[in-house]
Amino acid sequence: MRKWLVPAIAVCMLAAVSACAPNTVAKKDAFPLMYQEKPTSILVLPPINETTAADAKEYYSTTLAEPLSYMGYYVFPIEVVTEMMKHEGAYETETLINVPPQKFKEFFGADAVLFVKITKWDTAYYVIGGHVAVGVDFVLKSTTTGAELWKYDGVLQVPTGGGGGGGGLVGLVVHVAITAIKTAAADYIPVAQRANAMVISTMPTGRYHPMHGQDQEVQILPKQQK
Amino acid sequence: MKRLALLAVAGCALLSACATARPVPYNWGDYSSSLYSFKKDPTDEKLQAHKQVLIQIIQGSAEKSLKVPPGVCAEYGYILIREGNTADGMKYLDLEAQTFPESKGFVDRVKAQAIQPPTEKEKAP
Repeated sequence: MRKWLVPAIAVCMLAAVSACAPNTVAKKDAFPLMYQEKPTSILVLPPINETTAADAKEYYSTTLAEPLSYMGYYVFPIEVVTEMMKHEGAYETETLINVPPQKFKEFFGADAVLFVKITKWDTAYYVIGGHVAVGVDFVLKSTTTGAELWKYDGVLQVPTGGGGGGGGLVGLVVHVAITAIKTAAADYIPVAQRANAMVISTMPTGRYHPMHGQDQEVQILPKQQK
Repeated sequence: MKRLALLAVAGCALLSACATARPVPYNWGDYSSSLYSFKKDPTDEKLQAHKQVLIQIIQGSAEKSLKVPPGVCAEYGYILIREGNTADGMKYLDLEAQTFPESKGFVDRVKAQAIQPPTEKEKAP
């Protein structure tokens, strides 16, 4: 009775693997150190903004904790961490980049520290909608060994404005107006949220996630470059 | 045995959906938006609005029997302390450490800084 089960499962696994786009890689092969070290808590440093979009830093600093928590990690409150570091005389992440990661274990008890660089924030509009090309460079470092545990470096195309517009020319005009208002009104929080969710989903899950320690074979696209 | 087969099929379907794992169920409310508004326009009004969102997350999570998301109790407690409400602030910091034991070292650090006497600069009239 059980004889068919093993091949069935094998077929399933194969299907699971091949269901994904080409160029995917298993999480365990991409980030083996994550499975060795199993960090529980992540300290996010204020993002470094290398773009000319002045607000990109805040779009990011306010939207990073949520997706990391969904992946099962303890995330230190970024605002409080920033304030405390200012108290210690560290105002900019640029000055912290050369601090040995071990210091963050000593000072905050963090298992890993996340460095985020925003490398691109280009908005584009067309008649129906628009998108933002978001370039990011994420590096998660161990505060025990200083080694790179996980990283993501790539450019994502994130659509702006929501939903499908109404029909006809009037609908089109209205839709353009809405998109324009939205983008002008600095409502880029959803864009940052979407970009973050995509990037952070490539991370192995943490201890509060039901899949923790069982997602080694999950296939990911380690990078999206367009 | 039939059930087992069903289970296998279900598991298979789950796996082959390119395995996007379900997230940990947290309720973050309007956290990002209210924090962003405050950072762009750091007025007391915006701070109070953000505090309101934080307490809604804390209470709303309890109502739904969900864990409060990481950092939210600590952030709320920290703001209370900054406003001079040290006793309540400490309570929320303790709540953070209870909910997430790995935050203990951090919470102790925040508390130590909170009870520090004001620096010369802060004391100046």
